[in-house]
Amino acid sequence: MTAPAVQRTLSLKEIGPAQRGSRPDEVVVAVSPAFGDYFSKTIVDVPHAEVVRQILAGIEEQGVAARMVKVWDTADLAAVAHTGARLSGSGISIGLLSRGTAMIHQRDLPRLSNLELFPQSPLLDAEVFRRIGSNAAQYAKGESPAPVPTRNDQMARPRWQAKAALLHLKEYECIVAGRKPVEVEPVVSRA
Amino acid sequence: MTLVVGVDIGNSTTEACVASVGEGRVEYLGTALTRTTGVKGTPDNTQGAVAAVRRALDGRTPDLVLLNEATPVISGLAMETISETIITESTMIGHNPATPGGEGTGVGTTVAIEALASASGPCIVVVPAGWDFDDVAHEIDSSSAQVVAAVLAHDDAVLVCNRLATPIPVVDEVGAVEKVPLGMLAAVEVAPPGRTIRTLSDAYGLASVFGLDPEQTRQVSPVARALTGNRSAVVVRTPSGDVTDRRIPVGTLTLTGAGKTQRVDVDAGADEIMTVLSRVQPLDDATGEPGTHVGGMLAQVRDTMTDVTGQPANEIRIRDVLAVDTTVPHEVRGGLAGEIAPERAVALAAMVRTSRSRMQVVADQVAAALGCRAEIGGVEGEMAVRGALTTPGTAVPIAVLDLGGGSTDAALLTHEGSAAVHVAGAGELVTKLIDSELALDDREQAEAVKRHPLAKAESFFHVRHEDGTVQFFREPLPSHVFARVVTMGPEGPAPVRTRHTVDHVRRVRREAKRKVFAVNAVRALRQVAPGGSLRLLEFVVLLGGSALDFEIPELIADALAPHGIVCGIGNVHGTEGPRNAVASGLVDAWSRR
Amino acid sequence: MTTTENRRSKRTEILEDRPVNLDGFVEEWPEKGLVAMESDFDPAPSVRVEDGRIVELDGRVRADFDFMDTFIADHAIDVETAEEVTAIPSVEIARALVDPGASRDELIRIGRGLTPAKILDVVKLMNVVEIMMAMQKMRSRRTPANQAHSTSAKDNPIQVAADAAEGALRGFAELETTLGVVRYAPLIAIALQVGGQVGRGGVLTQCALEEATELELGMRGITAYAETISVYGTESVFVDGDDTPWSKAFLASAYASRGIKMRFTSGTGSEVQMGNAEGRSMLYLEIRCILMARGAGVQGLQNGSISCIGVPGAVPGGIRAVAAENLIASWMDLECASGNDQSFSHSSMRRVSRALPQLLPGTDFVCSGFSGVPNADNMFAGSNFDVEDYDDWNTIQRDLQVDGGLRHVREPEILQAREKAARALQAVFAELDLPAITDTEVEAAVYAHGSGDYPDRDVLEDLKGAQSVMDRGVTGLDLVKALERTGFHDVAENLLTVLRQRVSGDLLQTAAILDDDFVPRSAINDANDYGGPGSGYRLQGERWEQLKKLRHVTSAENPETEVS
Repeated sequence: MTAPAVQRTLSLKEIGPAQRGSRPDEVVVAVSPAFGDYFSKTIVDVPHAEVVRQILAGIEEQGVAARMVKVWDTADLAAVAHTGARLSGSGISIGLLSRGTAMIHQRDLPRLSNLELFPQSPLLDAEVFRRIGSNAAQYAKGESPAPVPTRNDQMARPRWQAKAALLHLKEYECIVAGRKPVEVEPVVSRA
Repeated sequence: MTLVVGVDIGNSTTEACVASVGEGRVEYLGTALTRTTGVKGTPDNTQGAVAAVRRALDGRTPDLVLLNEATPVISGLAMETISETIITESTMIGHNPATPGGEGTGVGTTVAIEALASASGPCIVVVPAGWDFDDVAHEIDSSSAQVVAAVLAHDDAVLVCNRLATPIPVVDEVGAVEKVPLGMLAAVEVAPPGRTIRTLSDAYGLASVFGLDPEQTRQVSPVARALTGNRSAVVVRTPSGDVTDRRIPVGTLTLTGAGKTQRVDVDAGADEIMTVLSRVQPLDDATGEPGTHVGGMLAQVRDTMTDVTGQPANEIRIRDVLAVDTTVPHEVRGGLAGEIAPERAVALAAMVRTSRSRMQVVADQVAAALGCRAEIGGVEGEMAVRGALTTPGTAVPIAVLDLGGGSTDAALLTHEGSAAVHVAGAGELVTKLIDSELALDDREQAEAVKRHPLAKAESFFHVRHEDGTVQFFREPLPSHVFARVVTMGPEGPAPVRTRHTVDHVRRVRREAKRKVFAVNAVRALRQVAPGGSLRLLEFVVLLGGSALDFEIPELIADALAPHGIVCGIGNVHGTEGPRNAVASGLVDAWSRR
Repeated sequence: MTTTENRRSKRTEILEDRPVNLDGFVEEWPEKGLVAMESDFDPAPSVRVEDGRIVELDGRVRADFDFMDTFIADHAIDVETAEEVTAIPSVEIARALVDPGASRDELIRIGRGLTPAKILDVVKLMNVVEIMMAMQKMRSRRTPANQAHSTSAKDNPIQVAADAAEGALRGFAELETTLGVVRYAPLIAIALQVGGQVGRGGVLTQCALEEATELELGMRGITAYAETISVYGTESVFVDGDDTPWSKAFLASAYASRGIKMRFTSGTGSEVQMGNAEGRSMLYLEIRCILMARGAGVQGLQNGSISCIGVPGAVPGGIRAVAAENLIASWMDLECASGNDQSFSHSSMRRVSRALPQLLPGTDFVCSGFSGVPNADNMFAGSNFDVEDYDDWNTIQRDLQVDGGLRHVREPEILQAREKAARALQAVFAELDLPAITDTEVEAAVYAHGSGDYPDRDVLEDLKGAQSVMDRGVTGLDLVKALERTGFHDVAENLLTVLRQRVSGDLLQTAAILDDDFVPRSAINDANDYGGPGSGYRLQGERWEQLKKLRHVTSAENPETEVS
């Protein structure tokens, strides 16, 4: 999948306190405090607008509904994703950090476990985000998707380890302790 | 008192049974099991035999080791695909994307999305890779042409459909979309969720759509057939587009026996092969056409036996063949979206045995390693029956079926005497059938599917077993099994890499076992039964590793029931289950000398 | 006037394409701990002792101690000397570290009483050459050594055995392995042990696993030592891993109780990487780890950033800090296995320069370890050096006349060792009733480079075999018996001699390794006696003759030929 030529921007419009969903056919996409806010792109410059657009497209293509939630009081991926899972009507969520690290989670799993984890943020592109959305939606439908193939690159350490640490620290700066998760509406507009 | 160890060297396992024998009394002290080292009946067996004895003895020193007269049995497996589906001129896209878009049928001329601006009349837009779904929807909506359907490279059908002012049928995930002929009349059909297409899978439906005369309708009927059961389809009308189901000639099998030589085409299928085989019983030899899988496999079985026994290849004879019909999912030649068609295939198991055993060498080496006497103690089939007779509730006359890895063996003991036979095909063939029919391409997974019942992990806290019952767990299941079809092995649920349902996998598994073991049980018992009549057998005891399977005994019992046979799983010494029969039989026979 | 905005010079283009520009670099952020060793947010040194107890440490009174402070105050600092030595001006201590006239013993005595902030204050005064000077003196064992990784991307035991044999033959004193599929561990650990003892009797092996299994393999004598017991510099990171300094110390004593050598692992950057640096510099936190290791009573430490090397590697002065952490481990009288064990840079120049502060002065293990397999097969995610660097390493040793622990070995010897290792493992597997190793696999092992050069194993059967090793309680002695029964008498003897060290306990001494004659060489009997030029370890004599050999050296006697 090639990135579209047009540039898009993302803003997350706050709707109100995040509620637990009742639809069994929804996936909650939970993002970290700095996502689409202090940060506008992942560690490898994939715009957050495109990340969200592709994840939502992956979910929509499967005929499943999506809701987005901004988690404010933690930037720990497992905690973000599990918060989403507990709000999700289907119990399935996708957790996303600003740098791109992602996880598919399920309500009944222990917080530190997951269904699929994509720890190598430098290797996640638009196509992978689409497949993450698609797989999460298939789990919500009770299907058995083949896990999104994870990639590995031994030389990611010298290139990205320190930048990842820096982004991690910045993300933690954006935490608002005690603030409850908020439901947000993603507004993607052509720049 | 004499400490005696019976050792049974089988194709895959070596079993030992220790007993203290004296004053007409036999006291069984213990058993052990290990993997057979090398090919059965060859000096390489020594290591496994010594290991089994050491383990069974648990530190004691034996007086005597008894070995079975193990004759090398080597089996081979091959599979030939005998049908092939070919699409010419990219005339149809018969794959089944998980999520097509829209509903209904659209008929028009194929147009590339880049050329949509200059198109007119009803058209079907063809979208290559690289196009974003938002842009595709925008192009279609703003086009002056009348777009009636779409064919996409990416998995974008629902996305595009949801963004159109008026939804149209859309088929997506067509990987080789650039090969779709442009400027041709075509039809796209998408059925509602849970339904299958009705127009393009019907010959007269196609005739109506494309305005065909009776002769043309006859020609397109294979296209209709090939699309049956799909939720979506694309058909392009091209001058000589066609879908053919071709039979692949895969050579002949030459069977010699009973003074006759018969040839049979492998692509005639398993039934025909087995019918011809029955005409030449007992089989003296079989050869396959060089350059075919079957020919290669038969030659290799012969070569292996030559390597093992030193017997010249021209003296080695294939003594039995089992053919089984199966299907193998194959990518369709000429397809545009990686369409898969279930092609017919024939699987063959062949077996060769030789009289030239080198057990004396094994006996000498075992004696040297353990510092005791070692003897070769009797014919295998006979010993198996003796061991089986220690199963509570059995009596002479008795027949045994030893369900192994490479061959299925039968033996009969009556008051008049005994008989024994090996036939080709057993556990290994079952694994291969499961592997290829489910397209697992992973012997380990196929083995797990064969050995364990299935279930679906419906949540983290419960599975639904293949019989419909539900089991709950206190601790959450591991995340890699969530929502998957799993095998319920002793180490807990393990995922099966398949998109098929539990029911489908179960059907494939049971069918594979039935085709091999139920068929072979009848075949083997017929060869030992007096006059070939199964009705004259009363008791059949199942032995060997596959007798421990959770459903094979039941499948065999079902196959034998119409013949009035009592069939059950051996329980050697009342404790060992279907294991250790030959080893125990050896001890038993010696104590009666 | 033309605009130059979009036009680049040819030189810029060439520079832009240099591998070093694929590496990542970041600015410092000291408030968050993203800084190597010079931070205004690190505490100032202070110590106060009352009634034989430290009541204030680096500006914090006991009531405010976190559990790291408590552990260090109670177990790692000598209360008798703490106030005295902490009062010595830092510059005096730093100069003594560099001064050949100041004895190692005296510096060890001073080091015992210093607080973490004081130690940092001292090394901050030292540039990288001074750090190397100090390392040369403070290293605990006189003779430097090296360690290898021997792993397989397919967890193929034959590959591990053959590469272990080659590695041992080339000179590694220790061999380390780990797994892709954890359940394979018993077979891989056996392969490493058998292969290692074929290559050179006395080589020590370990298998990095979760702590319980690693301990069990050690107690059974299938492995000889343990290393991957990780410790961290802040309480919050410890708590995240459900651990405390006391739980790590307990594990250490479990190893000691069986006579098994072990060391801890730590390194700069791990805390900030996890976002829990508590505003301290990387080196300050690493000093807390080093003192924790000393307080727990372990003989040694693997440090040098290890798996977090990308973090110090990206900040200014980061590699100097890494050199300093190795020095401090040695100064605290611990064995130091000094990193250089993770893929570090796209640039070969940076890879070498990163290793010089350990290679030039020599450390107890210069790499921990050097990949004894192609990096693609390295299940520790790749090392700073791999098998393809063997000849470069040997040449650098020869150029600078330094001992990096390796030597050039001629191909026939290597092939012979690889074959024997594969044959010995084949025999052990057959004897222990494990899945057979075919002659084809043995043949492949002789000539192979990576896991792709071997026939695939039946993984299911191997895993069953691995489980049976655990179920049947197979021990190192069973390996000895199997080797003896199958005619590998010398290998059996080698392994038995290594196992007997359990009883003598000599491998529990600081920095102990076994030499070619199975004599334990440690800080006790091979103590570093560096006292300036002409003293300490000198690369000379027979060893220097070995290191003069390379793959291609033109003969002086007959320049038309080569010697090797």
